Amino acid sequence: MKTVNKMTQAELAAYVQSHLQTKGISVILSGGAAVAIYTENKYVSADIDLVNVNFVDRKKIVEAMKEIDFIEENRYFIHPDTKHIVEFPPGPLSVGDEPVKRIIEIKFSTGLLRVISETDCVKDRLAAYYFWNDQQSLAQAILVAKSARINMSEIKRWSQTTRNMNRYKTFQESLSER
Amino acid sequence: MLEPLFGSKSAEKVLIFIEARDEGYAREISRFFTIALNPVQKQVDKLELGGVLVSFPKGRTRIYKFNPRYPFLKELKNLLDKAITFYPEEEQERLLMNRRRPQRKGKRT
Repeated sequence: MKTVNKMTQAELAAYVQSHLQTKGISVILSGGAAVAIYTENKYVSADIDLVNVNFVDRKKIVEAMKEIDFIEENRYFIHPDTKHIVEFPPGPLSVGDEPVKRIIEIKFSTGLLRVISETDCVKDRLAAYYFWNDQQSLAQAILVAKSARINMSEIKRWSQTTRNMNRYKTFQESLSER
Repeated sequence: MLEPLFGSKSAEKVLIFIEARDEGYAREISRFFTIALNPVQKQVDKLELGGVLVSFPKGRTRIYKFNPRYPFLKELKNLLDKAITFYPEEEQERLLMNRRRPQRKGKRT
């Protein structure tokens, strides 16, 4: 198997996930690293956000991460051979106030990667834009929507539940621009 | 009142304060309820780590707010709103009637 210093971000995420799974810790990739996967690295993020979906005690995660040489620093995990930083945002896995149900599995030589779907990835980025007017997140949502197959009617429905139709319109208009 | 649910008095105070005022910082919350700063700081840290609160730096202070992405926010806020109505009237007034409009620097109050 590849060594950590030669792994891409997605390969590293799959490696960490698969190791944690052997310890009974289920995590799902979300955040910027999911954007990188769906945009074929047009967007680059150093962070690997693995949402702790079976609510395992953090101490158990710290121990399991130590076994593969990741050390906890503040709330993040770092490894001496990679610039990528692993974080475990608290569960549940959600976008807005709805649970995420659809998980995509991608096989790598380093392990099995479980990641939120393209549509949920767009919703996840739009949530940050809707709630905090974060323009970087809007740009990432547009990038994913232009690079991957997404379900626009589902995004529209979800946007309605968050009562952010004005910002949804901005997103929609940006998609039709070249 | 909500201590049996939240497991700590300071967690209740932090959440009630932020619900009433929209935001707050640890020292402000500890002063308002005349409770020690340390447990309040521990609670805001814990609530932030759990995704319930988010924080932003403002000068040298860290301001805490509810995380709009927390999936149970609506339900939590409903619970806190109801709990506030059970607080003594004087306490409710102190919580809710804080000055929000601008005040010119140096003006006597």
